[in-house]
Amino acid sequence: MDHRIEIDFHASEGAILRLVGLVERRGFEVLGMTLPHMDATQPAHMGLTVRPRDDSRRLAVLEAQLRRIHGVSDVRHGAANDPDLRYEAAS
Amino acid sequence: MTVEPDFNPAIAPPAVPSVTPPTGARMVVEALERAGVEVVFGYPGGAIMPVYDALPGSSLKHVLVRHEQAAALAADAYARVSGRAGVCLATSGPGATNLVTGIANAFMDCVPMVAITGQVATPLMGTDAFQEIDTFGITLPIVKHSFLIRRVEDIPSVFAEAFALAEGGRPGPVLIDLPKDVTQASCAFPIDEPALANHHYPMPAAQDLDAARALVEQAERPVLYFGGGIAIAKAETALRAFHERTRIPAVATLKGLGGLPTDSEHFLGMLGMHGTRAANIAIDESDLLICVGARFDDRATGKLDTFAPGAKVIHIDGDPAEISKLRRADAALAGDLSAILNALQPAMPDIGAWRERCAGYAKQWAMRYDAPGSGVFAPALLKAISEAAGDNFIATCDVGQHQMWVAQHCRFSRPQAHLTSAGLGTMGYGVPAGVGALFAEPDATVVTVSGDGSIMMNIHELATLRRYRLPLKIVLLDNSQLGMVRQWQELFYEENFSEVDLYDNPDFADVARAFGVEAFTLDRREDVPAAVERLLATTGPILCHVRIDPRENVWPLVPPGKSNADMIEA
Repeated sequence: MDHRIEIDFHASEGAILRLVGLVERRGFEVLGMTLPHMDATQPAHMGLTVRPRDDSRRLAVLEAQLRRIHGVSDVRHGAANDPDLRYEAAS
Repeated sequence: MTVEPDFNPAIAPPAVPSVTPPTGARMVVEALERAGVEVVFGYPGGAIMPVYDALPGSSLKHVLVRHEQAAALAADAYARVSGRAGVCLATSGPGATNLVTGIANAFMDCVPMVAITGQVATPLMGTDAFQEIDTFGITLPIVKHSFLIRRVEDIPSVFAEAFALAEGGRPGPVLIDLPKDVTQASCAFPIDEPALANHHYPMPAAQDLDAARALVEQAERPVLYFGGGIAIAKAETALRAFHERTRIPAVATLKGLGGLPTDSEHFLGMLGMHGTRAANIAIDESDLLICVGARFDDRATGKLDTFAPGAKVIHIDGDPAEISKLRRADAALAGDLSAILNALQPAMPDIGAWRERCAGYAKQWAMRYDAPGSGVFAPALLKAISEAAGDNFIATCDVGQHQMWVAQHCRFSRPQAHLTSAGLGTMGYGVPAGVGALFAEPDATVVTVSGDGSIMMNIHELATLRRYRLPLKIVLLDNSQLGMVRQWQELFYEENFSEVDLYDNPDFADVARAFGVEAFTLDRREDVPAAVERLLATTGPILCHVRIDPRENVWPLVPPGKSNADMIEA
């Protein structure tokens, strides 16, 4: 099953690699990404569509692991088609 | 030089001392001093030369190692013993890549570290310049955070933030990559260092504490299972008080050893692959696990779905991301371990029969030291050394059979006494870790236990021992084999011994002497007492080369993929 992860973070050098790299290393395939223009003076936002590589991978654990990255201010996850998770709806 | 003809020094204005703006390198040194750093482990080279140029005259003690990996591993051990971030310093390119293993080691074991690397000048970055490598990119998966400083004025704030990050919350390594033009640049205006908030943990909700307390009060066969989080959170006092209050049978992970003194009543020893049978059976029979600062690592749990199959779980950890990662917690308490343990005051049910059962297991399956033969029995030797050294003892290990023997047989009275590469399993950790431990606690009796495979990974650090006259005591257990690999090939690969024979080892005592380190060889059991006495009495570095039986294995053992209850013995 595909899932959507929405991440609010501080736009600093390497932040995108750090976030996407963690998602992949923790056993999730990245199927899609939404990344509006980033400005270091504003909180940045990234949306990822992901699929766990096996049944043992849990979104709640991934969310907690993303939250502990320095510069991440919020993480939400849900079904890939969850309209409440859309960045456009939240912004 | 020309002098104006009408110049009269008697009426000249007083000379104004010139104020030279500090360079980036000077600011790096000052930032380290402001952070309270006393010791830096490093190795100079091209891109980091401006920082080395600024070091003389500072309050920093620089320890020159002989390979950058050793700088990172020494900084790791320094941090574990001192409780402050260890600092290592290297140049760009190979200097930085040589640090990588040590940074990864700190990452896996949650050790606070600030690793500083030189980088080629910013105009050269991305051009494949000499000794250019993407250190920032290479280390992304193995750091808690990283910075590439592009503006000299950012140096004070980045360094302050790096130390706060490395030491706060769940500790870990932080990398700072410093392009050479940044460290050479001058900063013409004063920079205010930002005040950083200290990390603090919220207390778990009262209902979560109540739920955990209720689980303890309903338990009939509880086990206290603690790990390296105790040392990280400096929570040994609270752990010991909790254990004293509840007298729940307790087990430790490899990194948890020393959280309770080895000889504590109701302590059953290490659990897991090479744990004690008593610890593993108690876990298997338990109906409640109180997991404190541990993470259900595969080496501790064996086959995860057979681990403590009948137990509910209270998981207490400083890192919320660890809770329910591998085993669902029935009660989750994230926060400061000491505060939680102090708040968790259950009315203990009567578990006297359970305590007696566990005590019986410990007695029934106690380690034995009556090995046949007249050769040196390594477990007995290590036990004797740790007992003779007393509470001042610190062991630093390499990786392999000897590492497990240290965990099984040495006596530890504090968590900082057992320095081992638990998560990454870094062969070569032992000697550099001994260097770091001695700079952190010069009066400790620091013993490095190594094997003939591991010692060769960083044997050049004998030169560092000699250079600084560090009284490290190296016990080198030599079976002329890669012993743990050989053991697995014997047991699980149908005795297909592939590339484990180290018959052509050098004479290690001669090697040590060539580095200027005192050395002797021990191969008879009857000489063990004198060898222990000599090791502990020597005031400088010393290596004891111990020849042991190459057929000796580490027992007991949980075969890979099996339940901890399926331990096998010789």
